[in-house]
Amino acid sequence: MHRLLAILAFYKPFVTWSFITNIIVAFISAQIIPGIITKLFLTVFAWYYVHETNQRRKLTFYKNLGISPLKLFSILFILDIIFTVIFLIIFREFT
Amino acid sequence: MLFELDNVELYFKNKRILNGIYLKAETGKVTGILGRNGCGKTSLLDIAFGNLKPKYKLIRIDSKPLLKPLYKTGFVKYLPQYDSAPKDFKLYRLFKVFELNWDTFSERFEEFLIYKNYKFGNLSGGQRRFIETYIILKTKNEIVFLDEPFNGISPLMIEGVKALITEEKIKKILVVTDHKYEDVINISDNLYLLNNGTTKLINKFSELEDYGYLSENQIPI
Repeated sequence: MHRLLAILAFYKPFVTWSFITNIIVAFISAQIIPGIITKLFLTVFAWYYVHETNQRRKLTFYKNLGISPLKLFSILFILDIIFTVIFLIIFREFT
Repeated sequence: MLFELDNVELYFKNKRILNGIYLKAETGKVTGILGRNGCGKTSLLDIAFGNLKPKYKLIRIDSKPLLKPLYKTGFVKYLPQYDSAPKDFKLYRLFKVFELNWDTFSERFEEFLIYKNYKFGNLSGGQRRFIETYIILKTKNEIVFLDEPFNGISPLMIEGVKALITEEKIKKILVVTDHKYEDVINISDNLYLLNNGTTKLINKFSELEDYGYLSENQIPI
């Protein structure tokens, strides 16, 4: 549970961007598959951004917990698509 | 357990930073690494932990080569130079993440008693350093790399860190580097000097002067 909270702490700075992306995806095409593909690209971009900047330092904390960058970003992707799917389902109900 | 780091060759662009590295550390001993600014101490620990990929390296655990990054084994912890814990994490939660007991810590270091519900980022730099050092040293592991554990902490806390290192070395491999050479020398059983990209095992303190790391009046008696 506490490890999940630690992973959520890493996810926190990306939440706003993820939500903005959800809104854009929903207005263009509120379909789940395009939403998931978009999030896959964004996760790869986030991984690249973290690796190429000082943000890379944050990964040491997770490595100390035995969480490799691949595992961390995979969990992030899964969490993000869960939120995306919920958001798109709710959006489709009201449009 | 025996940890060996061998044949390290590291380049940044075309500049050779490390070459001909050999480092041996074993359970029950503190291995200290000294060296001037920019000589590659942090890079060496980054390579050992798996944070940095050099051109060549060979890690052996109990004489067996290890092909995956060391951190993936799960029995190594690394204290980097910078704060690594999330700043908005409350201290008691940080301890729980690493399966440590806050009460045990705060009973021993009473000055931290009031900070249980403080966020990590709200502490002073020295307090953050001390807490991270404590966590890395006390968490269940077999190899610990400490990069500048004495940096920015008060003399009393330095004594606290040294006491923790002495306690933990009985069951762990500890590799320490810091610019406070007197403290590193004081706690180390084996000492390496990183000079011109290579490691040199120091047998006599006078060698530190020979290699131009210390002046004559800085050599410990």
